[in-house]
Formats: sequence, C-alpha cells, structure tokens
Amino acid sequence: MKECIKIKTLLSRYLDKETAEAETILVESHLNSCPLCKKELLELSRIKELVSGKERINLPENYLINRLREKIARKRQEPAEKRPSLIDLGNLSRRLIPIPVATFVLSILFLFSISTGQKASETTLEDNLLSGNPVSTEAALEVILGVED
Amino acid sequence: MKKQKNEDNLYIEQFLAGDEKGFEMLVKKYQNRALNIVYSLIGRDGESEDITQEVFLKVYRNLRSFRERSQFSTWFYRIVVNTTYDFSRRKRHFVNNEGILNNIVTGRRGPGDTLLGKEKERMIQMALKNVPFKFRVALVLKDIDGLSYIEIAGVLRCSIGTVESKIYRARKFLKTELLRSRGESK
Repeated sequence: MKECIKIKTLLSRYLDKETAEAETILVESHLNSCPLCKKELLELSRIKELVSGKERINLPENYLINRLREKIARKRQEPAEKRPSLIDLGNLSRRLIPIPVATFVLSILFLFSISTGQKASETTLEDNLLSGNPVSTEAALEVILGVED
Repeated sequence: MKKQKNEDNLYIEQFLAGDEKGFEMLVKKYQNRALNIVYSLIGRDGESEDITQEVFLKVYRNLRSFRERSQFSTWFYRIVVNTTYDFSRRKRHFVNNEGILNNIVTGRRGPGDTLLGKEKERMIQMALKNVPFKFRVALVLKDIDGLSYIEIAGVLRCSIGTVESKIYRARKFLKTELLRSRGESK
C-alpha cells in the first residue's frame, strides 16, 4: 500500500514518458503486481487520450496575416496625437508624469492669485477714494500723500 | 528543437532588419498552435480567434525587445497563456459557442465530424472549463500542443515538479468532471 502511494505520484509522469529510467522500471514492475494502480493508469491514460484527441481547428494560411496587416496599417494611420510617442515611457511614467505637471500648474495659479489679490486690494482703496466710498482717514491720507512704509 | 530555434531566430532577425516577411513566417508557423491552445482553454471559437490575433499583435509590438533571452517559443507561449488568462478573468462566463470561426476555419481534424463526436467534444470542453485555470493550462500545453515538462516549466516559470503536479491534478479534476457530467446526462 505504501508503495502504491509512491507509484501513484509517478503514474501521470510515466504516462507522459517523462520518468527517468530507474523510475520507469520501478513503475512497470509494480504495475505487474498491482491491479489498483493498473486501473488508475488506465483511467489517466483515457483522460489523456480524450484531451489529446480533441479536434484541432485550422485557419486558412493567410487569413490571420491579412487581418494583422489591416490592423497594423490602421494603427499607423491613426493621428499622431493618438499614437504613442516614439519614446515609449511605459505605464508607470504615464501615471507619474501628471503629478509634477499638476504641481507646477497649481503653483503658477497660486502665485498668480496672490499677485492679482494684492493688485486688487490696492486698486480698491484708490477706487473707493475716487468714487467717494467711505474709507478710513488713515488709509485715505496714505494714498493721497503717497506715504510708504 | 535546435533546428526550430534557429529557424525562429532567422525569422526574428529578418523582421528586425526591416523585412515584415519574417514576422509573417512566425504567424504562419504558430497561428494554429496558438489558436488551439486558446480554444482549449476558453472554449469559444470567435473569441479564440480574436485572442490569437491579440497575441500576434503583442508579438509584433514587442519582438524588438525579445532579444533571445529565452527561446522564442517559450516567450510566445507565455504571451498566449497570459493573454488568454487576462481574457478569462474579464469574462467569467464560459459558453461553448460555435461562433463565426466555423465559417472561417479550413478544417477541423478530430472527433467533431460526427454527431456523436460533436457531443463528446462538447462534453470534454465543458469538463475542461471546470478545471482550475492553473492546472488546465499545464494540461493543455502538454496534451494539445505536446510540450515537454521542461518546456512547460519554462513557459509557466515554475519547477518541473510543479508542472508534474499540475498535470496530474488537472487529469484527476477532469476525470471527476466527466464522471459527473455522465451521471447528469443519464
């Protein structure tokens, strides 16, 4: 029984003619005296026969080549912006590149908003003075006299 | 095997030198092998053809980076297996679909010619789909394409012992599935 366990692990490989010479001799001498392992081998052999005997499908010789030619030609005709660049940076690069670009754009927007914000506050004080809107006396004097810190 | 390796390398060199005929020779040589592996793994005619086309597009795009790190056939079968695996992950439902390829294939060789043969073929294909993919793929590479254990180990990037175990387990699964389907049909 102990030998059967050992032989069963070799049966599939034996069937595929992948056993070493010593293993082949071992399996064959065991099979001569063990009907259970012989039955197991027959079953495995039947399964192998069924799979390897499955029907094969064949494509006409140039059918796939013609389809591939069309597909490759269509890819080449695609507009340049749709095609990958000559330097293929790969998926990781494509995912990482937007991060510094987005950071740069956000920094520009931030700097722009600060400078326009300062300008806006300056013009608002002058505009308020000219249009007669109420402003503090201190602030009005600063603008009129051109007082700087 | 050596002759095959040299032949493939010549086609690759031809392609890399700018002659597309080299690629076309590879397609002619491997198209039916790829198609039958894919078909046995997923059991769908029309989609098997699309996957096979996708495989060769990947080969076309990546042949320049192949550079003979391994044998072309090992690299090629790996693409076949990975592309089919990606497809089967996307489409969980498995239907034995006699699709458009019926009108395209030049011939079917095997038991599918007769009514009894067709039914047997359908039963084997349905039983195969219930074998886990990781075991099924080793069995298909062995029994459909006739690769050796060492070649399968190269394709699946595992040891020969693992290949042996996968094939054995696939056959046991298949036997159980066939017995079950026979029991159901009675």
